[in-house]
Amino acid sequence: MNKFIGKHTVGEIIIWIFLILVLLFTLTPIIFMFTASFMDPRQILSMPYSWIPSTKFFTPVTLNDCTGTTIPRTFLTNFHKAIYGNNNNVIFLRNLLNSLIVAISCSVSTVLLGSLCGYGLAKFRFKGRTFVFMAIMATMMIPFEAIMIPLYMVTSSLKMIDSYRGLIIPFLVSAFGVFQMRQYLLTFPSEYLDASRVDGLGEFKIYWKIVLPNCTPVIATLGILSFRNQWDNLLWPLLVSQREKMKTIPLYITKFSEEKQTDEGALMAVALLASIPMFILFFTLSRYFLGGAAVYESRKG
Amino acid sequence: MKNKNKTFSIERKQARWGFSFTLPCLLFFSVFSFYPIVNAFFTSLTNRMAVQRTSEFIGFDNYIYLFTKSNGGFSLMNSMRATLTFTIGTFIPMVVISLILAVFLMQLRHPKSKQFFQLAYYTPAVLSSVVAAAIWLILFDPRGLFNQFANTLTFQSGHDFLWLVNNEMLQASTMIVYFWKYIGYFVILFITGLAAIPPAIYEAATVDGSNRWKTFWRITLPLLKPTVVLVSIMAMLQCLKTFSTQYMFHQGGAARQPIDVITMNIYFTGIRNGRLGRASAMSIILFIIMLILTYFQFAVSKSDDVEY
Repeated sequence: MNKFIGKHTVGEIIIWIFLILVLLFTLTPIIFMFTASFMDPRQILSMPYSWIPSTKFFTPVTLNDCTGTTIPRTFLTNFHKAIYGNNNNVIFLRNLLNSLIVAISCSVSTVLLGSLCGYGLAKFRFKGRTFVFMAIMATMMIPFEAIMIPLYMVTSSLKMIDSYRGLIIPFLVSAFGVFQMRQYLLTFPSEYLDASRVDGLGEFKIYWKIVLPNCTPVIATLGILSFRNQWDNLLWPLLVSQREKMKTIPLYITKFSEEKQTDEGALMAVALLASIPMFILFFTLSRYFLGGAAVYESRKG
Repeated sequence: MKNKNKTFSIERKQARWGFSFTLPCLLFFSVFSFYPIVNAFFTSLTNRMAVQRTSEFIGFDNYIYLFTKSNGGFSLMNSMRATLTFTIGTFIPMVVISLILAVFLMQLRHPKSKQFFQLAYYTPAVLSSVVAAAIWLILFDPRGLFNQFANTLTFQSGHDFLWLVNNEMLQASTMIVYFWKYIGYFVILFITGLAAIPPAIYEAATVDGSNRWKTFWRITLPLLKPTVVLVSIMAMLQCLKTFSTQYMFHQGGAARQPIDVITMNIYFTGIRNGRLGRASAMSIILFIIMLILTYFQFAVSKSDDVEY
């Protein structure tokens, strides 16, 4: 707003104060998570909260291996506890791996299936095209929460409970993914496609070699979106995963927070470790988080 | 004649390819979206349980039960109340404050600082809901940061606000968590809407002697109305589906009754108690509520297009 340059009005000061207050509100809990994950629980719940982890509060930690031995606390004790859990198994790493496997497979398949279908809908004429499109759009109106019970029955009758297949297959593609791909490909110049056809490329090859490599922005947005949805997914794994080794990170955190021996520091350490993949994605690819996808993204919840 | 036949066959071939490209998704959605919702409806008319494989047709008894009985202390009416309070208590502040933030951010002179604020406001949305709930569980501890903060605001000391104990405070707590997590996301939605308004309109307003306050009420808001309505409905739809925060708070020791939102009730009735028929009936009710809202969303986004 060039017209206001040089004038610091009262309004402008109010704006800054408001913006900074909200900034404090949004960032404080995150900074809290970072600092608390290095602290002794005594320090976390001391009043007033001291923001810098200090050795002054350190109490020895009792190991949960029946011998009752205690070890001195270091700044990394919380993380040790987070990874080894309360009963010294390394199920956390397995759960982390599960989450990664599920999230990556879902985002890859959403991109592939979504773009294939979106391409078919955007660039081909066939009987019933509008119907297919409307039908797929209609599924956007069916919230996952409303179909989880029958979906659970379908998965259990397909013997997919407690397996990667059960965790992944219901989220292979989303209607929103198809929609976004179609919208993007509508503007894709048909001349390219025709030229490739003249050059004798098969239809599937055209999709694979011409269409897909030219959709990078929408692929990134969609890939991140479905990665994030799966990383965040609590409800479905809660239904499907039964054995400890098939659980995902949200389930691990819920379980960990319920256990009696879990202290606040260890819980924050788990929370921090579980957020690292998302933080990495966010700070390297933030424009795909903030970009145009935002408008449509919310339809998925 | 020969030529015509050839183009005809090319077109048919093309059509076949197009259809076969959409086929995988079509099959997928049939099995994992359409079939389950139809199935949910039929299951809701039976007394199906998770343990027994047999089930009888009982008509609309499940619905009648849900609307008249207490369902073991966790009635549908209570869930409706919990969901509605949560939705209204969350989406109104969220829409209002994110709109204010977006308008304020548009006033900033440096694109860098604008970008920074957007990014910072958005950061909580990157955390998964479970992590968010875990952080806030500790912040809401009697000796936690939020009590200290609230005490400073109200000039008291040592007062416990019972964030996770008192019924009303517990509901407010879940709202605060949700608000905190999604505020940045809605700010970005509004910024996208605001950026679409051509600067020429503002220039014209300034030339005509309008001040910023007037410009906002007379120009920005009316032009932004479709975005506001759309974003409100999106926010409402999202709030209706809330689950993780409430579940995590409940598992962390908070009472279930005040925050027993519909999704949580479906989960507990269907999975924990194994009453699949009754849970399906609840699912169908949730589906219908959301369908009505989605209908409004489509109606609004179609009819209310503003031309600049």
